[in-house]
Amino acid sequence: MTFLPPELLRILVTVVCAIVIVFGNAVVMGYLERKFAGRFQRRPGPMEVGFHGILQLAVDGVKLVGKQLVIPRHADPVLYRIAPIISFAPSIMPMLVIPFSPKLQGRDFDVGLIFILAVVSLNVLAILIAGWSSNNKYSLLGAMRSVAQNVAYEIPMLLTLMSVILVTGTFSLRGIVEAQTNGIWFVFIMPVAFIIFFAATLAETNRAPFDLPEAESELTAGFMTEFSGMGFSLFFMAEYTYMFIACSLTVILFLGGWQGPPLPFAEYSSALWFFLKVYVLLILMIWIRWTFPRVRFDQLLNFCWKYLVPFALVHLMITAVVLKL
Amino acid sequence: MNSRDAVISALKKLPATVNEVEFKQCGYHLEVLVDAGRLRDFALLLREGDFYLSFISGLHLKETIEVSYQFANYSFPCRLLARVEVEADNSLPTICDIFQGANWHERETRDFFGVVFRDHPNLMPLLLAEDMAELKPLLKKDDKLKERAAITRAAAAPDPQPAAAKEDA
Amino acid sequence: MSTDTVTPLDEHRYVLNMGPQHPSTHGVLRVILEMEGEYVMNPQPVLGYGHRMHEKMAESRSWPNFLPNAARMDYLAALIYNHGYVGVIERLAGIEATPRAEYIRVITSEMNRLQSHLLWLGVLVLDLGAFTPIMYTFEDREKLIDILEDVTGSRLTYCYMRVGGVVRDIDDKFISRTREYIDWQRSRMPMYENLVTGNIIFRKRVEDIGEFTPDLARRYGLTGPCLRATGIPYDIRRAEPYSVYPEFDFDIPTETAGDCMAAYKVRFREIEQSLRILEQALDKLPDGPVMAKLPKKIKLPAGDATYTVESPRGELLYHLTADGSDVPYRMKIRVPSFSNLSVLPEICSGMLLSDLCACMGSLDLVIPEIDR
Repeated sequence: MTFLPPELLRILVTVVCAIVIVFGNAVVMGYLERKFAGRFQRRPGPMEVGFHGILQLAVDGVKLVGKQLVIPRHADPVLYRIAPIISFAPSIMPMLVIPFSPKLQGRDFDVGLIFILAVVSLNVLAILIAGWSSNNKYSLLGAMRSVAQNVAYEIPMLLTLMSVILVTGTFSLRGIVEAQTNGIWFVFIMPVAFIIFFAATLAETNRAPFDLPEAESELTAGFMTEFSGMGFSLFFMAEYTYMFIACSLTVILFLGGWQGPPLPFAEYSSALWFFLKVYVLLILMIWIRWTFPRVRFDQLLNFCWKYLVPFALVHLMITAVVLKL
Repeated sequence: MNSRDAVISALKKLPATVNEVEFKQCGYHLEVLVDAGRLRDFALLLREGDFYLSFISGLHLKETIEVSYQFANYSFPCRLLARVEVEADNSLPTICDIFQGANWHERETRDFFGVVFRDHPNLMPLLLAEDMAELKPLLKKDDKLKERAAITRAAAAPDPQPAAAKEDA
Repeated sequence: MSTDTVTPLDEHRYVLNMGPQHPSTHGVLRVILEMEGEYVMNPQPVLGYGHRMHEKMAESRSWPNFLPNAARMDYLAALIYNHGYVGVIERLAGIEATPRAEYIRVITSEMNRLQSHLLWLGVLVLDLGAFTPIMYTFEDREKLIDILEDVTGSRLTYCYMRVGGVVRDIDDKFISRTREYIDWQRSRMPMYENLVTGNIIFRKRVEDIGEFTPDLARRYGLTGPCLRATGIPYDIRRAEPYSVYPEFDFDIPTETAGDCMAAYKVRFREIEQSLRILEQALDKLPDGPVMAKLPKKIKLPAGDATYTVESPRGELLYHLTADGSDVPYRMKIRVPSFSNLSVLPEICSGMLLSDLCACMGSLDLVIPEIDR
């Protein structure tokens, strides 16, 4: 391996790992979601393929890959093909900067947080393109909802982020985690910010009860109505990856990142803690989805503009004042 | 109008023929015969009397097509079956501006019997497909048609109520 | 009245075709929505995708042979449709069913009403985007259907009642299972209260949506729980008592708000009332035969009769005209959902698309019943 410059090798390994995490997470989440949904609904969930249906996702993957990609007659063929890719591709990039443990991080940017937010916001564009290019009114309605929702909820999300940044004084994700040593996680200092942030991430990732862009019972499947096969599954994987990223950010910002008491495998303890926290949050998201009905569109925006944004602003001000004192 | 007697006297003033019938036998309280010309007045009267429209339906007889309107009241038991014979051109005035619920019932009757309701805003086929407007599935063949008398209940011999004696058509 | 006419669209409006295949239309109903952004300006239901012309079929077969058809209109209240049909024949022919049979009819009808209400509860919440309650209500419903299956032989399209009685007697096992079920269902209701009624998102979604008024109900002939949600205690079981319903003590739940939440509360409380009727009927169940002694072939005398029953959705009415032969001359079936759906253009104009789904869920539509 000496013929490769070490830096290039590092980049290659990082990218491969990032892709592995993305696909691994999609599989794990797909299985967890179905199993937990089954539990909540007093049924076993997938049981047929493999032990307790553990291979179900693999089979579904094969099915989706084998399916024909149907392009509606009056759809825009180029945009229609590109939309799932635009949605999925940026979801890999945040993996490069997320600090899974002190050692396990692709690269620590000074502006890691801003990098993630910038990349993730491309997803709105993908959904808009998907909705527009399908030439279907349900898709278009879903896309319009998605844009309004994502733009609105980015504001409280960024405002709560600012509170954290004021305390830590850095945009570096590693720096933020290291600011929460000795169990003084920000969730204990700023619980309100944590709640606002988590609510906003639910809306940003289009998860129930804020899953209006999909809204099965109203818009059949929203922006994904016309997509089949891999087009659909790319959106599907992108959704799970964005959920993973959102939960990782929550963990980094509020739950002390990789920090926690040592676990049996001491060497991997910090990475284990990180994934443990992330998956607890993800399961919380699943739980919320299978419990609550969907909110209405005006309620969604009212909730954002009338409650989340003012609370986030006040919180930001209080944080600033407290810091100044 | 908050009792059956008040309804009967109001209907007689219209004028309309009102027969009180035995509920246990017929399932409704009043049988009303109305002229097509007085149908709208009749409907207006019932609208003021806080009745609701249960259904509109047709009946193909040898003599004519008869349209029956059934009304009932939420506040006291008074189910009322009105029979109206269609006019010569197979039409009747609409009552769907008085009882909006009549809209679909009239369209259905148009589908099945071809009765035209004048001034109806949209007499398109409702249950049948758009190109089946002329099917009129419930019209009977000539040999199966019966006269009014053949489908009228024979007057029960030990009838306690004289008013319940049916019209001798 | 211009709700029906097709007007040229102005430039901000577009037409959205909801159905015939759509998750929220509960069957093959198509609604043409004239939209302005997310607002529904003029919804127009298009019916007839499942039209089978049951009324014509009734004229072409002898009256016992129509009984299976009666079960296939409203697949959620087949026994109540059975009840109405045998009722109208009995009324016209002057036959009385045996007392035990009348009780069994009431018991099975109320069980049918319960399973319909349970399905509605799950489906309404499903329309609002919560997936879990429908699985819970199906669990309850499954118990009911299993009990009914034992005695009727089918699970959905029952053909159990006969003129003069019912086809099979119920046994002790049926009674003990039903009593167990009543206790089970009672124990489940607090859970639904917590999971659905108390859920803030659910309340916000259904409160002040689709407001019915008594006047609107009269103009459209609205019946059933949606009517009782406007404060009018009109229930055929009380207003025009049939079968042995006068012998039971039950309340008619009403609300005054008239919105979807009120309709929800009315239906929810009706579940408890049906359980009460079931309990009393099981206690009072008389002994005796379940079929009256009838001549081999019953000829219907000439004349007409109406028989009205309370289906889970409202007033179900059979109007039979007989000419003395063994086929009906004319059979009119008045189905509750037909009139209930016709209010849609009036109450849903100007509402959000999501509210339209909530409203249709609250009307508890069964489309094959409307299409007949």
